[in-house]
Amino acid sequence: MANMMYREAVLRTIFEEMERDENVVMLGEDIVGGMGTAGGPEAIGGIWSTSTGLFGKFGANRVIDTPISESAIIGAANGLALSGKRPIAELMFADFIGVSLDQIWNQMGKFRYMFGGKSKCPAVVRMAYGAGFNAAPQHSQSVHSLLTSMPGLKVVIPSTPADVVGLLRTAIRDDDPVMFLEHKALYATKGEVPDGDYTIPFGHARLTRAGQDVTIVTCGLMVGFCERVADKLAKEGIGCDVIDLRTTSPLDEEAILDSVEVTGRLIVVDESTPRCSIATDIVALVAEKAYSSLKAPSVMVMPPHTPVPFARELESAYLPSTDKIEAAVRKILAWR
Amino acid sequence: MANIRAFTMPKWGIEMTEGTLAEWMVQEGDAFKRGQTLCLIETDKITNEVEAEFDAVLRRLIVPAGGDVQPVGALLAIFADADDSDADIDAFMGNFKAADTSVAARQSDDAAPAPAPVAASAAPAPAPTPKKIETNRPISPEALKLAELRGVDLDPIEGSGRGGRITYQDVDQASRSAAAPVLLGVAELPVNLDGFYASPLAKRLAAMHNVDLSKVKGSGARGRISKADVLALVQPAAPAAAGFLAPAVPVDNRPSVVPMDKIRKVVARRLTEAKQTIPHFYLRMNVRVDELLAMRKTANLVLGTKASINDYLIRAVGVALARHPDVNVQVHGDTIHHFAHADIAVAIASPKGLVTPVVRAANTLRVDQIAAATKGLIAKAESGKLSFADMEGGTFSVSNLGMFGLDQFDAIINPPQGAILAVGGISKVAAEGENGQVRFESRMGLSLSCDHRAIDGAAGAKFLATLKGLIEAPEGLFA
Repeated sequence: MANMMYREAVLRTIFEEMERDENVVMLGEDIVGGMGTAGGPEAIGGIWSTSTGLFGKFGANRVIDTPISESAIIGAANGLALSGKRPIAELMFADFIGVSLDQIWNQMGKFRYMFGGKSKCPAVVRMAYGAGFNAAPQHSQSVHSLLTSMPGLKVVIPSTPADVVGLLRTAIRDDDPVMFLEHKALYATKGEVPDGDYTIPFGHARLTRAGQDVTIVTCGLMVGFCERVADKLAKEGIGCDVIDLRTTSPLDEEAILDSVEVTGRLIVVDESTPRCSIATDIVALVAEKAYSSLKAPSVMVMPPHTPVPFARELESAYLPSTDKIEAAVRKILAWR
Repeated sequence: MANIRAFTMPKWGIEMTEGTLAEWMVQEGDAFKRGQTLCLIETDKITNEVEAEFDAVLRRLIVPAGGDVQPVGALLAIFADADDSDADIDAFMGNFKAADTSVAARQSDDAAPAPAPVAASAAPAPAPTPKKIETNRPISPEALKLAELRGVDLDPIEGSGRGGRITYQDVDQASRSAAAPVLLGVAELPVNLDGFYASPLAKRLAAMHNVDLSKVKGSGARGRISKADVLALVQPAAPAAAGFLAPAVPVDNRPSVVPMDKIRKVVARRLTEAKQTIPHFYLRMNVRVDELLAMRKTANLVLGTKASINDYLIRAVGVALARHPDVNVQVHGDTIHHFAHADIAVAIASPKGLVTPVVRAANTLRVDQIAAATKGLIAKAESGKLSFADMEGGTFSVSNLGMFGLDQFDAIINPPQGAILAVGGISKVAAEGENGQVRFESRMGLSLSCDHRAIDGAAGAKFLATLKGLIEAPEGLFA
């Protein structure tokens, strides 16, 4: 057991996987952290400190600083992956999938299918997502709903350092393209990480709080919010199942339905925008397959259908909060 | 507004007009869940379970089990929530009006500007006058109607629709009394099970029942362990100790006591009643079937059918009943009902027990048509899909146990029918030929049970003689 930060868990896992398998290579903008500066290639460190020291250990052939072109980063990762490497591409901000969407959506996710299963694309695209940093609409978005809607991609959203390690190992060793979403606000959070070479399979949700009155389904940064609400309500005798999805594609339907069949009440808490989202997807799943278990209409705690605002006050009003989640639990219990 | 609902005598099939409450499975004050069996209702043909369509509490049991026959629509019980007040329930019962399900009533509903209804009972109950609501707020038409009907104040309602539009659901919620949800509380979170590829509920169950997940084989995708895999390994609770110990015997032969299921209980009661109250008498006769067996081969070829001997027998019974209408009867109290056609109930041993679906107007059907009808009924009986319409009615029954090698048996009349024919097996017997010589014949044992209240010995005997004639000279079956 080791206590470490989320960002350290990312770095350590990449480091170990690159050591373990020489086909693992990393590429992205400014990941070397100071290339071309007076102090030398690693003088400054990358923006998220998730690649510190990799260049010194593995060299320029395996740790590649790229030009500022996300299309080129993902395109190069696709080429590497098709020719037998296991690239880890880093998008500095998840919002930049917009500029590289053709490489992600039309190429990466479709190779295996378009070539009759004869080609594989074992690439991982890591990206920092999420709001709360007063970073305005183009650097604050949660893109997992959008990525989950695209067949051919696996979408992973770890919420703890231990999950980062287990899920990132699985992602790197997986033969299909994986979108690996790291919330900016989680990088500095700490947690215990088990020893040993463990992996966490995809499509395998984690129950972080157990209760029999309300099912709260969530992922990423929101997991901690939901846990705090569940702990507070537990003192009043209100039991919440908190389900951390870990991956939205594949989706652990079984965990959600099993829980709703007990509680009869579903709340989905998510940071992406509400229309055509992972939350509406889960609400629809439950309406379709657990209709007879429901005691009340499902509730979604999500931002409004607008871009993330820049102003601090507006941004905090925009995002889900523990107060909003608690209000949702009380609302669903008050259904009559 | 309280959630009080009336439970009334259901209407199964268009001809059902009344039924009897055979047994209540829930008692007054009991809470029940959707899908739970509430009671057993018996009609003159079938007995069926009534399942709850929602969760509620049986607040008033109005018609107890085993009481009088109730017309369709009669109030049997009141379902409501546990917190609905007795006063509300009394008021609800006071206002209850049985729906008139008669054809006349339904037709008068359809007629556009109905003239004054002939029967006073068909007049609709006066609906509460809705109070008109004037509002500028966005609200759906159905929501406004509901608010007017229930007199709901719109001001405190926060519309949940787009732009604050008030929905039907919003008004419905506002019109209900506050909820007091039953909380089940926090559950134990399993520890140290992170490494297992199992669903969260499977892990919880494993922790609860001390199941070692490393020994569980997952049946889910890629070997994932699901709740069913764990539950399959959970030992069922040890059975409670037996209430008494049988005296020591060299070989353990204590009975395994199986309570009768509800259907069997009702069948048992009805047969006991039939055997005890109907004055049965029995007419037995052996009939020669050599000609019938021979004819069946050729006739089946010609008709392109696989009709069984039983199908020929049903045809013969149908023809004989048409000639003897005094045997084609039902007995209802002090009246005897005569029928123009022979609706013959055929006893079938189904997986659920004895069932008696009906071949309609068998006297008008060719043998191949009868064969098709019985084939369909047997298939339905075996898959448990017989409907009320398949079982209902019947003017005469045929029960055939010949395939088990017995010679003859007597059957119990299936009320309200007047008679039942019990058919035994076919055996070769030595008989005297026309010139005194000995010859072998195939013979079948028939036994007719008659209700002496409606059928006299001579009437029964004449019917049986006609039946014998039809079987022994089977050309008559194709007349």
